[in-house]
Amino acid sequence: MSLLKSWKFWALLAAALLWSRMPWFVSNNYQLQVLFRITLFAALGLAWDLVGGYAGQLSLGHVAFFGVGAYGLALFAQLSIPVWISLFLAAMVATLFAAVIGIISFRLRGPYFTLATIAFGEVLRLIATNLNVTGGAIGLTMPALFTGRTFWRQFYLASVALVVLAFITNFLVSRSRFGYYLMAIREDEDTASAVGINTARCKLQALLLSAFLTALAGALYASAFQFIVPDSVLTLDISVQISIITMLGGAGTLLGPIVGAALLLSAQEVFKNQFHESHLLIYGILIVIVVLFVPEGIVGGLQQLFRKRTSPPSTGAQAALGGAAP
Amino acid sequence: MTPILELQNVTKRFGGLRAVKSVSLTMNAGEILFIIGPNGAGKTTIFNLISGFLHPNEGVILFAGNDTSRMAPHRAARLGIGRTFQIVKPLPALTVLENVMLGAFMHTGNVAKAEEESARILDFLQMSHLSRFPASGLPLAARKRLEIARALATRPKLILLDEVVSGLTTSEALALASLVKRLPEWGVSVVGGVEHVMQVVMKIADRVIVLDYGAKIAEGVPADVVKMPEVIEAYLGPKFRELTQ
Repeated sequence: MSLLKSWKFWALLAAALLWSRMPWFVSNNYQLQVLFRITLFAALGLAWDLVGGYAGQLSLGHVAFFGVGAYGLALFAQLSIPVWISLFLAAMVATLFAAVIGIISFRLRGPYFTLATIAFGEVLRLIATNLNVTGGAIGLTMPALFTGRTFWRQFYLASVALVVLAFITNFLVSRSRFGYYLMAIREDEDTASAVGINTARCKLQALLLSAFLTALAGALYASAFQFIVPDSVLTLDISVQISIITMLGGAGTLLGPIVGAALLLSAQEVFKNQFHESHLLIYGILIVIVVLFVPEGIVGGLQQLFRKRTSPPSTGAQAALGGAAP
Repeated sequence: MTPILELQNVTKRFGGLRAVKSVSLTMNAGEILFIIGPNGAGKTTIFNLISGFLHPNEGVILFAGNDTSRMAPHRAARLGIGRTFQIVKPLPALTVLENVMLGAFMHTGNVAKAEEESARILDFLQMSHLSRFPASGLPLAARKRLEIARALATRPKLILLDEVVSGLTTSEALALASLVKRLPEWGVSVVGGVEHVMQVVMKIADRVIVLDYGAKIAEGVPADVVKMPEVIEAYLGPKFRELTQ
């Protein structure tokens, strides 16, 4: 099993274990809440990375799965189904929904695909705002996955578990034939189909996996904050946030989303306390800097720096292929 | 024995333009066939038709007896039609070896096995020393070979090499040609397409088909074809046709 042989996996497990012990050092709920958000968005970034990073399909509609997870949990629980089963059912519904979105929008390539995914998210927001069963603009009260005095600590631990699950998923995908297929699709869809890859099916499979994980995170998030309205769990901001976290950290890398979430969300928190309203400006500038100077993201950029030292000796290569170097 | 590839009166239109006009051809297993013709003659369109990237408006394409006229590219690839692209498309973020592995994955889900098989193919194409490098930094000659390696890794019965030597120096082109000539050892039939590097065609083609404005104007062994007046006219203009008579 390649999973058990990789130092990266064991390193993550150790890190996760350490990270899950954070409540020892942090006792107040505000700090726990920040840690919970960071960890949760790391998981969301990892889930998004399957589609947006490895397969290179820039989705800005992941909030749809996030929202379906949140609303699904609330609605299933209202039918007096046990919360943990509701959580699973909500994620299944989101996956089904992803199949519908995927089959329709994967016919489109590039920016058109991205626009279609934005549209799906917005459609859901409008539906949730206008239906009675979702409580309209007033929203719904979420069932509590954890209760009691230490519930923040438990939510936090659940988010750590989710990161581990998402990381293992990405790890296994990235080292499998499926992962290579996704990367081939990202690099060039024509070449991918020329080697027999069913690009439509692979993209869809990646989306289903991604949607399932995203919905789990959405439900967990909503349950932690106890109350949802369409503008809190179905807003485009969340899709954007997830994709920026991943691209900042390094799309298509294993550690990128984790690094991105830790950096961006803690920066956001610091700026919010320091500069109040102007924190968004600083946040924006930060993103511009990264896009301009490290387009592969932080982890991706470091990997490239490492790889530069091993680029091919071009004259030697040419000579070996029967050509006199021009 | 069924021919490996058969085109029956294949026509492809793009709006008002007939890019391929009622072309028929038959090729047998193990053969190396070259389609030649001036720029815009319809060579790439024919490759796209055979590999499923385009579908004919009229006519039938049979591959090893199967009708592939309406087949999606990935299905055609799984059936045994490998191809390279005129504009080489290595997957730049992946290493040379990984590029080839994508082909090998058609027959194995096992990463280690795919690596092993890909290494063997890279060895045949004399580029093992490049296998760990990212494909993005390769010179053109190596990228052309990489395309062939990736297609070969799918264990095709037929391989389509679009503009296989364009942009290469003469010595690079001849080195590559001698490798292409050996492809039948792998159980592969070859359809090559070139514009005008006749040196290569003469050296390795069993048979040549000449296209001009989408229509087949000549067919035969290379040595005969280059002397045909129609062929000379297509390449050099009507004035030169008179000179040959």
